[in-house]
Amino acid sequence: MAEEIASGAGLALATEVLGFVYPDGTRALDGVDLRIAAGEQVALIGQNGSGKSTLVRHFDGLLRATTGRVLVGGEPVGSRHVADLARLVGIVFQNPDRQIFAGRVRAEVVFGPHNLGMHGRELDERVAAALQAVGLTGSEAVNPYDLGYSRRKLLGMASVLAMATPAVILDEPTTGQDARGVARVREIVAALAAAGRTVVAISHDMTFVAEVFPRLVVMRAGRVILDGPPAEVFGEANWPTLATTYLEPPLAAREGARLGLGSTPTEASLIEALLRHVA
Amino acid sequence: MSLRLEGVSYRYAGSTATVLSGVDLVVERGEVVGLVGANEAGKTTLCLVAAGLAPATIGGRLVGTVHIDDLSTAVARPFELAQRCGTLFQNPATQLSGTAPTVWEEIAFGPRNLALPLAEVVARVEEAVRLLAIGDLVRRDPARLSGGQAQLIALAGVLALRPSYLILDEPTSQLDPQGTRLVGDALAALAAHANVGVLIVEHKTDLLAGLASRVAVIEAGRLVAGGPAADTLADERLPGWGVQPPAPVRLARAAAAAGVSLG
Amino acid sequence: MTADRPTGSPPSPPDFVLQAPSGAYLSLNPATKLLVAAVEVEAAFLVGTWTGPVLVLLLVLASAAIAGVLPRLAVIVAVTVPIVASIMLINGFLYPGAVDVIVRIGPLAPSVSGFQFGLQITLRLLAASLALAVAYLATRTDDLLSDLERRGFGRRATYVIGSAIETVPRTVDRAAEIVDAQRSRGLDTEGRWWRRARGIVPLAAPVVFGALTEVEERTMALEARAFSTPGPRTVLRVLPDSTPQRLGRYVLLLALVAMIVGRITGPLAVLP
Repeated sequence: MAEEIASGAGLALATEVLGFVYPDGTRALDGVDLRIAAGEQVALIGQNGSGKSTLVRHFDGLLRATTGRVLVGGEPVGSRHVADLARLVGIVFQNPDRQIFAGRVRAEVVFGPHNLGMHGRELDERVAAALQAVGLTGSEAVNPYDLGYSRRKLLGMASVLAMATPAVILDEPTTGQDARGVARVREIVAALAAAGRTVVAISHDMTFVAEVFPRLVVMRAGRVILDGPPAEVFGEANWPTLATTYLEPPLAAREGARLGLGSTPTEASLIEALLRHVA
Repeated sequence: MSLRLEGVSYRYAGSTATVLSGVDLVVERGEVVGLVGANEAGKTTLCLVAAGLAPATIGGRLVGTVHIDDLSTAVARPFELAQRCGTLFQNPATQLSGTAPTVWEEIAFGPRNLALPLAEVVARVEEAVRLLAIGDLVRRDPARLSGGQAQLIALAGVLALRPSYLILDEPTSQLDPQGTRLVGDALAALAAHANVGVLIVEHKTDLLAGLASRVAVIEAGRLVAGGPAADTLADERLPGWGVQPPAPVRLARAAAAAGVSLG
Repeated sequence: MTADRPTGSPPSPPDFVLQAPSGAYLSLNPATKLLVAAVEVEAAFLVGTWTGPVLVLLLVLASAAIAGVLPRLAVIVAVTVPIVASIMLINGFLYPGAVDVIVRIGPLAPSVSGFQFGLQITLRLLAASLALAVAYLATRTDDLLSDLERRGFGRRATYVIGSAIETVPRTVDRAAEIVDAQRSRGLDTEGRWWRRARGIVPLAAPVVFGALTEVEERTMALEARAFSTPGPRTVLRVLPDSTPQRLGRYVLLLALVAMIVGRITGPLAVLP
């Protein structure tokens, strides 16, 4: 699976003092400087309304910088059409019902890659691989609205994965998913990472982000307040900063600190530290 | 006084598939009962049946009985049920009335339907606002809220009916950690101080661990496990049912497997 | 919110809920605004050839200015004018039986009377649609609903009217989200028009599907909020109304009838 949905290289994404104000006057971003290297996996965390979704919508031109600028693959986005940027950056939105239009699962997944000019065997392969990645192989002829919400959400993900964009953005991919669904999302991110693609995910699940992403960016009120690997962001020194935006480190990090084992943001790192401690 | 499902089986109108079979479940007033299970195991259907919306509003075929206190959902009228049992479903966008210009009026929608005196409507809205700490949202247009905010407002709208029971289908799915804690605290307070019985469907087992007194597991339409929250959430079969055990359980298990102790 | 209330007085809704709209046009009772709009629409079609539409347009623009909705009205004009103007062109070129044909090009016979007729229709449609638009823009849906409830409309009828009105902005919001999602999947909405035209289905389908799947959920949500309780609902605020306004509404009703009579019997038809 990994090779098929994830061939191709990554893409660098960056913002320079990016500011964005909605037409109603709400300032959603306030000077965001962020550099994401090609092939990097980054999770954006922070409260509802901290600017995470607004930020990622700049990477395929759905929103245009009020101040500052956005770079995709090192090139300023400027006024490039969304349809062009869609070749480079795929966004999986939170609500699948705002995108699903086709009467059949397969047709829904075909839409994106077809728009990008894929056809024939390449298209078939992409679509099959994307459906397999989300566990919908065999449901090609099903009407999407006969699927439950969580599987429609996975369908939404497949329809963007099939576009094989060098960068993939996932807006809250785990909401409403059960343990198996969350495990699928983890596998998909791992597969994309293994193929060197860039992944940016927005999530409220601290355990999920700590275990899946090597870099975390914490946002508050339109600014980046922390940026680093989970061990650093969830390290005890940063707890007061996290508390300012009502975030709590995962249990493993809290346990590690309690036991004086240093920063152990994941279950595995905690167990490892415990073993070292015993030895 | 309790909400009781006895020998409940159900299938949707126009479908031959039995979505629930042989379900027995009791929610006492003043207690929080958690319901966990994989997606499409029947959690939402169980909520619909427990609230009396199925079959009264959406049809379908029900076997067995559902009682809310002494009222059987088979004979009760929807508005009678609504006063006893507040119900909230997953998608917050469809849980709002869609006609209120401000959040304040959205929360007042239910109490106004009951034709309560104006002073009582105001008191209930203010109570719900205080309980969920949403004072800064009351002037906003409900149509322009984020998913998480809408979810809090929808919950407030149900709380303002002051029901004896609450049936909540993933009420925190779109909330950030702070919002999730708030909802947890509010539900605990309602159970403890207002004697409300709560049935809550959640994927966030960490929330249930601190909130629910009992937890039931549903798998393919049947309740396959149930009991005190601490026991059910530590059940080794949980992952097999598509349910993530709470973090402390996972950590303890991982530590035990590695032969170390968390002290 | 509760702190600064004098003890003893019963709690009342906050000011932003109670406050009535102010200003000469905005503060009119919703029923008055609706009747004014109805009279304007009728006048645009029945009074004279040019007098009615021109007078109504002036009146509508004035009330829009007073109500402060001119900028939003401009958007509606921008959408309406091209559609209505195309009617004028078609009439200009194809007006049957015109004796003042300017030049004949095959089947096309542009005529002075054709263009005049087209312009007239354009003005009438524009005046009528703007009259309705101003009433819509200057009335909070909720005020209209409260007023209908006060006049004894059933809660179901009121809700249906309310949700029908609110469907417009909500569909616009939802469509905006859908457009974003499909553009991110490479749907070209900025390129040439024929490429854009291909995108109708992926843009329209989620609006329709979404609305359909939401109906059942919405119905259940309403039931769960005791919507089907019999009898009238609690009234949050009583909208301003006055004896002059009430009398005015009778005058407006009379005007509605009088215009029809005046048109049939002739006096309104002979106006320029």
